Amino acid sequence: MMNQALPLIRRTLVYGALSLAAFLSVFPFLWMVIGATNLSADITKGRVMPGSALWTNIQNFAAQVDLPLVLWNSTWVAVVGTALTLLVSSMAGYAFEMFQSKFRERLFGSLLLMLSIPFAALMIPLFVMMSKAGLMNSYTAIIAPGVASIFIIFYFRQATKAFPGELRDAARIDGLKEWQIFWYIYMPVMRPTYAAATIIVFMANWNAYLWPLIVLQTNDMKTITLVVSSLASAYVPDFGVVMVGAIVATLPVVIVFFVLQRRFVEGLLGSVK
Amino acid sequence: MNRFAALSRTTMFGLMTGASLLAASAAMAEEITVWCWDPNFNGATMKEAAARYTAMHPDVTFNIVDFAKADMEQKLQAQLTSGTTEGLPDIVLVEDYGAQKYLQSFPGAFEPLTDKVDYSGFAPYKVELATLDGQTYSLPFDSGVTGLFYRTDILAEAGYKAEDLQDITWEQFIEIAKVVKEKTGHPMLGIDLNDAGAIRILLQSAGSWYFNADGTANLAGNPVFKASLETYAKLLQTPEIYKPVSGWADYTGGFTSGEVASVFTGVWMTGTIKAANMSGQWGVAPLPKLSGVEGATHASNLGGSSWYVLASSEEKATAVDFLAEVWGKDADFYQKILVDNGAVGSLLAARDGDAYKASDEYFGGQAVWQNFSDWLGAIPPVNYGLFTNEVDAAVAAQLPGLAAGGSVDDAIAAIDAQVQQQIQ
Amino acid sequence: MGKFRLGRSENVYAWLFLAPALTLLAIFMVYPILWSLWMSFQTGKGVNTQFGGLANIYRLTQDPVFLRALTNTLIFLIIQVPIMIVLAILAAVALNDPKLRGRAFFRTAIFLPCVTSLVAYSVLFKSMFATDGVVNDTLMWLHIISSPIPWLAQPFWAKCLIIIAITWRWTGYNMIFFLAALQNIDRSIYEAARIDGVPAWARFVYLTVPMLKPVILFTTVISTIGTLQLFDEVNNITASGGVGGAPADSTLTLSLYIYNLTFRFMPSLGYAATVSYVIVVLVALLTALQFFVARERK
Repeated sequence: MMNQALPLIRRTLVYGALSLAAFLSVFPFLWMVIGATNLSADITKGRVMPGSALWTNIQNFAAQVDLPLVLWNSTWVAVVGTALTLLVSSMAGYAFEMFQSKFRERLFGSLLLMLSIPFAALMIPLFVMMSKAGLMNSYTAIIAPGVASIFIIFYFRQATKAFPGELRDAARIDGLKEWQIFWYIYMPVMRPTYAAATIIVFMANWNAYLWPLIVLQTNDMKTITLVVSSLASAYVPDFGVVMVGAIVATLPVVIVFFVLQRRFVEGLLGSVK
Repeated sequence: MNRFAALSRTTMFGLMTGASLLAASAAMAEEITVWCWDPNFNGATMKEAAARYTAMHPDVTFNIVDFAKADMEQKLQAQLTSGTTEGLPDIVLVEDYGAQKYLQSFPGAFEPLTDKVDYSGFAPYKVELATLDGQTYSLPFDSGVTGLFYRTDILAEAGYKAEDLQDITWEQFIEIAKVVKEKTGHPMLGIDLNDAGAIRILLQSAGSWYFNADGTANLAGNPVFKASLETYAKLLQTPEIYKPVSGWADYTGGFTSGEVASVFTGVWMTGTIKAANMSGQWGVAPLPKLSGVEGATHASNLGGSSWYVLASSEEKATAVDFLAEVWGKDADFYQKILVDNGAVGSLLAARDGDAYKASDEYFGGQAVWQNFSDWLGAIPPVNYGLFTNEVDAAVAAQLPGLAAGGSVDDAIAAIDAQVQQQIQ
Repeated sequence: MGKFRLGRSENVYAWLFLAPALTLLAIFMVYPILWSLWMSFQTGKGVNTQFGGLANIYRLTQDPVFLRALTNTLIFLIIQVPIMIVLAILAAVALNDPKLRGRAFFRTAIFLPCVTSLVAYSVLFKSMFATDGVVNDTLMWLHIISSPIPWLAQPFWAKCLIIIAITWRWTGYNMIFFLAALQNIDRSIYEAARIDGVPAWARFVYLTVPMLKPVILFTTVISTIGTLQLFDEVNNITASGGVGGAPADSTLTLSLYIYNLTFRFMPSLGYAATVSYVIVVLVALLTALQFFVARERK
């Protein structure tokens, strides 16, 4: 209050740094949008001015891609995958934190180690399994291996540390069974944590690439990520069309983030208001 | 879900699948699944071929699935490695460099076509690379026959005519490039130091390759390999004549933007060059030749691919018949895909067709296709062996060092050491 | 504390809650892991494999490409992870100020990069960092450099580019974890320190950082695993002719090498499996180290 100058300089610095960071972060998005308005040749020349080819690019994109179908495929995989992952993994995270035992602590430690094996090393055996189970070219094959996600189990376990024990004790006194406590008390209270996990899992499922590529066999099953990638690697890629595809592929996740972001920030470590 | 899938399939493949649904009730109905990687190039040619076959055999339909090239190769390799045949297509497109790798590491996975196709009608080098133990497995598709595409206007400005580019050596090419740079300011080439493709072109132009016939590495002590690296090092050490580029878009952007004056590459680049809207400003010359090397020619190859039938295919007989009937015989089909897609096939009889003889205004009225098909017959056959990707990686690792003035002998020693370790 | 003392029925419930996840993990993780462990003792090409004992481990020690990949991966890890964690903490602290205007905007903007589709991201970085791309033009315009930086053509700069790219992509992601943790810290402690005249930097070092330690540990472990498995960037941004890790293998990582050994080169699954266990061992060592460092200061 006595020295007004110092905080003012600091504030300016903070706003300056944040604006720069925000600009650098958003710039590639702008470029993507600008790219969608330009012809392929201009994009490879590095043109950064908006062009007039947006409609042409959209038309070309629509002619090459059955958009409703592809979006439906991606949405199906992402929504069902996310719902199952949240349910199964949060149950496990809850149990690891709420019902601790020496054996389960060791088990948890070994799960963390499994997290470190690169997926490329596990793909071939998984592929053989799926094929033996007759699940090739099915969404089950894409979703199933990710439903028990060690990362999300780990995350829910951390978040559960903030879950007030009194709530559980009170519920027990009221005669609720353990699954009822989880369903009627824990899940509503932890809504922010679920929102955060939704973003992370939805994003991972929506952008999944390597595994769906191996498992899916026909054009009508392909997700948007696969479609955009194959557009981008033709002998003569049309980058205008690729940019339209990239926007379509990115937008749903941005929307999901936008809708959930307030809860997301509250939720990552499970703050309970 | 089922209803939805059926519905979506109809919207996706339109009439084609409509036909297949109807035909599904007939006992003879067959669907051939094909994997390829470029919907505007090999995918489009396959669609044309499929339409021709379906016209003759209405009970056969096609499901052509396109992927990114690296994606398709990864998928195929994963599937073959896992030993699962379920989900494999009936026909698959394989880049020629990878042919022997697939044939030898997955014995029995591909169907030999030796008795079904008359291979005498195809460019010999394409047949050779798909032959293992006396059996030939591929239906040869597009050729990567090389040429030197150049900007006639820029070269003219520097004082060169088309004749000046006939029958030259790489040393002469470098001298011309220096003059072009000096007089016009245009770099002659765009060079990607991560790409060993140029070395492959040089090697094959003199009938040599990374490997001996028995599959052992042919690097240290191979005079052609040494000459190729030395020649390329000379180019790399003349930095004023080229623009350093990185990656495909940057590379093609160099000449489509009008900055770079020439590019030596496979014939499949024609489409990209024509898309640049510089009609009348381009010409095609034969590839410069390695000097002082026995067997050096002006003809070589870069890339190219062929169709293979999977032995596990249920519609094997039909798939083979389709390839043999359309791809193996129909010269008119090859005229069509040349005009529509710029695809130069390897069926030699197709060269006599009208499309091949036509002159092209984009190339100043030159009969470019005729030139390419003449060079096609002259490409020295080599056996691509099993480890082209591994050697490529080893060669590419040495290129920045060579550009910085490193010794060719050291580079060869390093490449050889790395390759010996990798191919064990 | 009696931390582990549970009733019988609680124990049963614990396993019931864990059952779906553990069953799925047993099928989709444990089985493939055992399979790849077994494969790491096999040698051969494609589908023709035989038992090779420790041959693959011997091959590791003789393989210059593996050494290059290992060195590159460790360089990325040692330089990139600290930079990113520090940036993420600073951004989170700045955004935690309740008086800051436009918090939601900054938060979303800085988080956006990790949402970007990989295709757009790599096409974009390639073009921005091309020799005559936007980045070089800007730096030259600002007179920071006098000639263009060969970002994609020279080994040193290519490594820098990869570090810039992953920092760009994942800083916002990590920031969110810190932001959430900061919101749980009791503001009254800060107020008290402020009234006592503790300067801002000291409040940050002595109050904020210690309180964030569990989250720092969490993000460091996750980022370490992520960097050791680094694949997307080096297979797309510094790739040419479909081959990642360019130029001259200077951005080749362990994960990319595993991918090459499985899908691009003559498939040698046994050797690829052996290389992946190198990552597992590294993660085990580094995680133990990180937990140890975090514990020591307690």
